[in-house]
Amino acid sequence: MSKATADWTRVGDRFYRRTQLYDSIFDPDLELENYIVTGAPYSGAVALYRDESKIYSFRGSQTAKSSIDLYSCAGKLIRRITWDKGRIVAVGWSEEERLLVVTNDGTVRSYADLQSDFSPFSLGHDAEEYGVRGCKFWSTGFVALLGNNKLVAVTRYDEPRPQALASAPVGEVISWTVIPPEYTSSRSVEVLLAVDGTVHVVDAAECEDRGLQAGPFRHISVSPNGKFISLYTDDGKVWVISSDFQDRLSEYESKVKTPPKDLQWCGNNAIVLAWEDEIHLVGPNGAASKFDDYNSFVHLLPDIDGIRILTNTVCEFLQKVPDSTEEVYRVGSTSPGSVLLDAVEQLDKKSPKADDNIQMIRSNLDEAVDVCVRAAGQEYSVHRQKQLLKAASFGKSVLDLYNSDDFVDMTEVLRVLNAVRFYEIGLPISYEQYIRLTPERLVQRLVNRQEYLLALKVSEFLHLPVDRIYVNWARQKVRSSSTDEDSLCEEIVRKLNGKRGVSFEEVAHAAYDEGRGKLATELLEHEPRAGKQVPLLLSVGEESVALDKAIESGDTDLVFYVLLNLKKKMPLSSFFRTINSRPVATSIVESSAIDQDQELLKDFYYQDDRRVDGSNLLLSEALAAGDINAAADKMKMAAKLLRDSKDYTAQVVALEDAQKLLRFQEAFEKDLNEPFVGLSVNETLSKLIKTGNMKRSQKVQTEFKVSDKTFSWIRLRALVSRRYWIELEELSKGKKSAIGWEPYFNEILGAGNTKLASLFIPKCTHLAMAERIEMWLKCGLANKAGEEALKAKDRNALEELRTKATGSAQLDIDRMIAQLQKGR
Amino acid sequence: MAAHPAAKAINTQEITDKARRDLLQLLEAVRGKKNLVLERSLAGTIGLFVKFSTLQEYGVDKVFFLENHNVDSSQRNVIFLLRGDNAKTVRTVAEQIKLVRSESKIDHEFSIIWIPRRTRVSDMVLEEHGVLGEATISELALYFVPLEQDLMSLELESSFSDLYLRKEPTSVFASATALMRLQKQYGLFPRILGKGDNAKRLADLLQRMRSEEDVNASSDPSKTYLTSFGLTPSSVVENLIIIDREVDFPTVLATQLTYQGLIDENFGISNNQIEVDTSVLGGAPAPPQQQSGTAQPPTAATKRKVPLDSSDKLYPSLRDANFATIGPTLNQTARRLQSDQQNIKQQDQSIADLRSFVSKLPSYQAEQASLKTHTGLAEEILKVTRSEVFSAMLEVQQNLLAGSDPSTVHENIEELIARDVPLKTVLRLLCLESCLSNGIRSRDLESFKRQILQAYGFQHILTLADLEKIGLLVPRESHRGYLNPIAGAAGQTATDWNAVRKSLNLWIDDVQETDPNDTAYVFSGYAPLSVRLVQCILQKSYLSGLVNTRPGSTPPTGGGWKGFEDTLTRIRGATVDVTQKGHDADASHARKTLRGSKEGPKVSVVFFLGGVTYAEIAALRFVSGQLEKSSGRRIVIGTTHVISGNRAVGAAVEKRKFVE
Repeated sequence: MSKATADWTRVGDRFYRRTQLYDSIFDPDLELENYIVTGAPYSGAVALYRDESKIYSFRGSQTAKSSIDLYSCAGKLIRRITWDKGRIVAVGWSEEERLLVVTNDGTVRSYADLQSDFSPFSLGHDAEEYGVRGCKFWSTGFVALLGNNKLVAVTRYDEPRPQALASAPVGEVISWTVIPPEYTSSRSVEVLLAVDGTVHVVDAAECEDRGLQAGPFRHISVSPNGKFISLYTDDGKVWVISSDFQDRLSEYESKVKTPPKDLQWCGNNAIVLAWEDEIHLVGPNGAASKFDDYNSFVHLLPDIDGIRILTNTVCEFLQKVPDSTEEVYRVGSTSPGSVLLDAVEQLDKKSPKADDNIQMIRSNLDEAVDVCVRAAGQEYSVHRQKQLLKAASFGKSVLDLYNSDDFVDMTEVLRVLNAVRFYEIGLPISYEQYIRLTPERLVQRLVNRQEYLLALKVSEFLHLPVDRIYVNWARQKVRSSSTDEDSLCEEIVRKLNGKRGVSFEEVAHAAYDEGRGKLATELLEHEPRAGKQVPLLLSVGEESVALDKAIESGDTDLVFYVLLNLKKKMPLSSFFRTINSRPVATSIVESSAIDQDQELLKDFYYQDDRRVDGSNLLLSEALAAGDINAAADKMKMAAKLLRDSKDYTAQVVALEDAQKLLRFQEAFEKDLNEPFVGLSVNETLSKLIKTGNMKRSQKVQTEFKVSDKTFSWIRLRALVSRRYWIELEELSKGKKSAIGWEPYFNEILGAGNTKLASLFIPKCTHLAMAERIEMWLKCGLANKAGEEALKAKDRNALEELRTKATGSAQLDIDRMIAQLQKGR
Repeated sequence: MAAHPAAKAINTQEITDKARRDLLQLLEAVRGKKNLVLERSLAGTIGLFVKFSTLQEYGVDKVFFLENHNVDSSQRNVIFLLRGDNAKTVRTVAEQIKLVRSESKIDHEFSIIWIPRRTRVSDMVLEEHGVLGEATISELALYFVPLEQDLMSLELESSFSDLYLRKEPTSVFASATALMRLQKQYGLFPRILGKGDNAKRLADLLQRMRSEEDVNASSDPSKTYLTSFGLTPSSVVENLIIIDREVDFPTVLATQLTYQGLIDENFGISNNQIEVDTSVLGGAPAPPQQQSGTAQPPTAATKRKVPLDSSDKLYPSLRDANFATIGPTLNQTARRLQSDQQNIKQQDQSIADLRSFVSKLPSYQAEQASLKTHTGLAEEILKVTRSEVFSAMLEVQQNLLAGSDPSTVHENIEELIARDVPLKTVLRLLCLESCLSNGIRSRDLESFKRQILQAYGFQHILTLADLEKIGLLVPRESHRGYLNPIAGAAGQTATDWNAVRKSLNLWIDDVQETDPNDTAYVFSGYAPLSVRLVQCILQKSYLSGLVNTRPGSTPPTGGGWKGFEDTLTRIRGATVDVTQKGHDADASHARKTLRGSKEGPKVSVVFFLGGVTYAEIAALRFVSGQLEKSSGRRIVIGTTHVISGNRAVGAAVEKRKFVE
């Protein structure tokens, strides 16, 4: 076994290592220099397509057809997409391994999960007109540079919406790149354009010149954490600056005449320059190292923690040696971790030095164990992983108290990592990438590669849900299988049934997309979520089932959605029949039609023989009408609807009264030159009285059979409000009142006329004496109150009054008390 | 996720914070300055959790109301923030986008934020108008908005009319989604209890959603996979009690007599705010940091917004008290403040004393400002409650609630109509009678209808028809209700109020208003049925003690409705009682053992479907206070919105007049 440090290289004060992941990647005949190669993030698949600008030798007809080939990092062909649609400008990947192919005319094809068919979208009119010059991708979106220097950004793929960024400067864009939105202060994507001697920063709102002079810059690249930018100048220098253009961090002179083919970041602290078969690694402070032992053309595939280097023969991972690994393996290291590792070696040799070592690091043994566990995670060699874990385990056994969770987790993770790194799978994922990618998405990647068994094993091992794997399997099955529908359905149901969280709807959808409608319907019956069945049921033409399912789901939006679809598809009469038996559907149609389609509602009420509703609808229209005649006509129609049945006589009468009232009011307006229309019967009466039209008011009263009580109240309130005291005094001479006399007293008193109010007190004969006394007092007539008490011969009341009374009233009351005494 | 580890109880502040964060994040996603277009009804709701000044910090330049159709093109970015359930709103948005696009010279960026979710119908309507591709669409999952620490509202203003007038279950679904989110955070409600047909629908929907949640969680890649392992019963929440408003209309119709209730009746509280004439507040100058940080345009100079929430110094102690006690309380406070002030003036002060006084000064001033506000409000309310019409109305109401023969009050109601009191007042009384005695005798009803049409206008034919649809004002039918033994089976359509009044002690004659001992204090005699139903579950021994004054009768024990089944069959609507267990019985059992005897304080969530009144809130707070004293439990109230009698009746009232 080679030493761990064998593939280390010192750059400045740091170590970098090249780990060979796989060898004999491609067919030696494949001229990699003629291909453009892009890799999915987190050690995902690699896409190759021929660089049209390069001349290549003719090799017979089969290769002449252009295609995009997807390989695993180990060189296993996953999929070949034959291409005949326009010139490819860019190919890129998203975080979830979605392949995006952009053509010259601005059409984007998005291939999800390596297997399924594409979904296209367009970058818009400008792209069509001026053409796309290039694209830069980040984990969830991309920016396209158009022929007229316009920039178009797409920030999500589930619902792509090209958005134009602020207009960029004219002039040739020498090189450009993007800072992903998650790393910018504005939270929207920023584009760096190297134009002439400077760099412009463009985002959604504005374009700003950063005022650099050292250009033109042949290459520009942003570090994975978005904090640094590297620039390659025409005179062979590499600059590293902070991404806010404030600090210049380092400079490196490449001393090479030809500009490099590629410049990429390796992690966040080094830059790799690539020429045909040579790369330079530039570390911090301009320290650098050359690697020129490649014997064929080199492609760089940057990742978050390092860079993959791909040639015909090898796939390597170049990264900074992780801190824990450096601590353990660095030559001459005396760190606890390294001593612990040594102790295990001594133990194997049965040497007593093992114990000496342990005693030496006793005080920070736990730290040593941690380091060994961490370093194990960074190793690709299973041998060294074991070595480190053994050391950790040994150290652990010496410790009294140690939380082994990390250790256990690491062993589990390593098993998974080793399984997926196996060359047949070809996912050389690093620990760092695994953590960032998350186990769930790793499983998804396995599913994408149709490695269902391994995906299941990994999921079970890590206690992850397995439903997605089954669903994906079933979808693939539906797509590829040619067996007859019944047995296929049966097979799928058998496999999927009883699994928690399995969505049959997705499988059914796949079947539907394949044109297997019957299979889709059959599968759909197993979907537990009623709501999810609805859209597909609609597309297969099972409208009424869809409606029932929508109602079952309780989601009114879904019901409404189905109804809108139904209404478009069906003749009106059968639409009404369909909703008639379903109250929820009926009420939704009613409430939505109320504010958009009253005619529909009228038809519906007519067909359903809901006369009152129909009539009320007409009344509502009458209210909306602008003039009396139109309103009256509508009301006539409303009344006509109800006239046939005697159940509604009251409402018919009301509707007729309403028309009659309008006619009356019309006449009053003409005669009296005052607005009346819109008032109610009572309000009309009140207004007539207020304007002194007693005759007319009486006519209205009899016409509408307003009760005497009501009329009396209206008259009283109207008169009081206008302070028509004379009329009120006239009323006080009346013998009878429908509402008694107390209201007169109260209302008039409320208006402040005590004198007039007092006239009504003697008329309130049915009230008790005490109340009448109170009334008198309210009018300020204590002597009258006294008389009242005297009449009732109530001495106590008189005594009490005396305390309240003042001036002459007091004398009066004294007199009355005396009178009462005398009378006794 | 199972129960929230740190949550001792339902924390409403968390909901507020999350709503604010989510909204601001969505606003931030649009780069640069932007104009915001809101639905009018949302403005207040949003004001509850984010201030206008904060919105400005996030680049909001101007705010428009969708209803005004006046969105201008002053900013390149236009954000619409709207509820997506209503097709009409969606259509308006589509039209405005088209309008702005055609009129403006700049290339606008439109964004639409749907609350609480993006609907299929909205997509469809936008597509029909050809603007679907024009706008960036996102959603803000705003369900519960906390109004107070113990009160969460969905703020669905139309839910009463949707549910009972249009019979449209949108708000049931919204409620289920909101409660489901609560369950996701705090664990399953171990038991769901409820009364009413819609309560049943809601409970069924919750069950269904729970089974669908498994599938949902796994097919939604954005969620953490943890959720897909199923929910386990909550350790925080004890039960969910759903009260369908339909079960208890009379409580809504009755005039609320608590301070907050009367403020709502007279000024109309919306989103914890009222708008009053400055003259009412004694011309007090606006406080320096006005709380009305909402998106409202400046109001007319004579109106002022008054925030009514627990940030006020005096309000929390006043709001739930019977209005009769407010005067004395305010007097006491005034005297206390005055004596404080005099102490300062009279005594010789050491520097230390002075410093401590100065540090208290801001709170002292706040208290004084608050006192001034509430004195003003109380005086204004007093003007109303002292009026002759009010006492006439109250007399009718209390007679009806106490169970006297309704025909004795007919004359009074007729007089009120003749005296032209507001239509809603009359309708409330009539509806109250109809609800309490399962309809009004046809002949009487026809006569009332005629009088109403004549007094308030014939357009109210529609009002009366709608009230009948809601079931608030119906003719008495022979086959309705308890008189018919066959109808007494499950799915009771009418409540036997006389029996229920007796068995649940809904009327208490000697009610204590100053130092209340029963929830009946909120209506000065009538104990709301809805709250009694909650007491059936949470305060069994108290309630049965009220009814059985005989010594020796044992109070009912056991959970759920136990002990009151008889009464429940006499109340309309289905009865719900569901026990929810976790998928993995072992796991939940293990969790229980792990928790051991350290049973934390438990919370009961009382959810009002179709609205809750402030009087009921006060009564439930009273119950909650008693529970907290006896067993450390408390009540959190959830509702679709806050309702009052006027709002309930207003759902039916036709607002148009002939030929305007």
